[in-house]
Amino acid sequence: MALGTLDRSLPPFFNQGPSVLSKLVFFGALSVFLMVADVRFHLTQPIRAALSTALLPVQWLALKPADALRYSRDYVSGLSQAQSNSIEASKKLALQSLRAGQVEQLTQENNRLRKLLGLREQLAIPVMAAEVLYDVADLYTRKVILDKGQVQGVELGSPVLDESGVLGQVTRVHPLVSEVTLLIDSELSIPVLNVRTGARSVAYGDPGAGSSGLELRFMGGNSDVQPGDLLTTSGVDGVYPPGLPVAKVRHIEGRSESAFLKIDCQPLALVTGTRHVIVVKPVVSQIPLRPALEAPPARGKKGAAS
Amino acid sequence: MIMRSGQQLLLPASPVFIWGSLLAALLLNMLPLGRVLWMPDSLALVLLFWSVHQPLRVGVGVAFMFGLFMDVNQTSLLGLHALAYTVLSYFASQAQRHLLWYKVPLQALQVLPLLALAHAVQMLIRLIGGGTFPGWMLLLAPVLEASLWPVVSVLLLVPQRRAPDRDESRPL
Repeated sequence: MALGTLDRSLPPFFNQGPSVLSKLVFFGALSVFLMVADVRFHLTQPIRAALSTALLPVQWLALKPADALRYSRDYVSGLSQAQSNSIEASKKLALQSLRAGQVEQLTQENNRLRKLLGLREQLAIPVMAAEVLYDVADLYTRKVILDKGQVQGVELGSPVLDESGVLGQVTRVHPLVSEVTLLIDSELSIPVLNVRTGARSVAYGDPGAGSSGLELRFMGGNSDVQPGDLLTTSGVDGVYPPGLPVAKVRHIEGRSESAFLKIDCQPLALVTGTRHVIVVKPVVSQIPLRPALEAPPARGKKGAAS
Repeated sequence: MIMRSGQQLLLPASPVFIWGSLLAALLLNMLPLGRVLWMPDSLALVLLFWSVHQPLRVGVGVAFMFGLFMDVNQTSLLGLHALAYTVLSYFASQAQRHLLWYKVPLQALQVLPLLALAHAVQMLIRLIGGGTFPGWMLLLAPVLEASLWPVVSVLLLVPQRRAPDRDESRPL
């Protein structure tokens, strides 16, 4: 038997390096520091971007089995699926064409009226198509990763839509991929407008375990909300363009301990399992800056001194 | 060299295999399987295994690095998985002197608290950071991981259990 065949060798006597405990303290402190830097000071973006780019090959490998599975499933169910899809699409098209005809006319009318009033032209929205790479498996947040990043021109804060409504917002941009926080994440809120009543409010992601919905908070017990009401973006935030469908009211419940209703909404976008999305440039980049405030008129000596 | 009676003498572990298995576990964790509460963390398990069996090669530093990779992949707080894996690896290196004296099923029972601790560290930080508790099925994850310990113990020791001299009549 050759030398060095056995696994158990003597540990080095002198050159042992730092003790395990000191390593634990060092790396523990480093990770706590990183967390604080991440939350409080937002300093860690370069580290994150570098690591995520380094991880791309592994990620690509990890996505391959899922792609293969999807491809084979598509292949098997291909024809019938395609037929039913096309029927569904043509139905949708028929419905849309009616609306589209009206929209043409309304846009023209609107343009004329706006010109009449001397108002600013309605903002045109630049968009970019993207594909969802994967749903983040994290149990505490609801996010997806897109295949477009800084290089392709994705901007931080851009709204993300799918074919039926608002999906979420870009919350981190890496060089080649970007992170989208979904509407149903408990840390995202979106200003909405009830189309039926015209009431503005804010919808929050519902943090309840296992629920995938939105919650309309701070609506008084006597406010006019009905199940089935459509909520669209109100556009007052300067991020989401106005008029995009967001959610439908699903369930309303009065609460005896509070003056507000508990309103549960169902997001219209496919928050689980969507694949193709569009990334919209935030409206705020197109709105001209607020004119500078006029300099306050000079006051007495006291005002000048302070 | 003192070891448990009946334990097989092992070949030295190849660094390529160690790193390969760690990368494979990372890959397993990154598979897009969706949000499953009881999904066992294969990377934690493999890190724990190597911290116990090869404490000189895989230690706290390696665990920290792979934790950062997980953080970036799961878009969680940078340092969250890193802290959990660091703590896991530290306790593994403390336990490794007595752990290897037990038979494998008993080892599985003893690594259960370590794995549960790693999950608890993550959950605690999330809850401090304002997260909501995702559900009780979460408790199943460390149990599943511990029950995978015998499987991992067999799989990852296969290359070390080969015969030292090649023998045509005995392939493994």
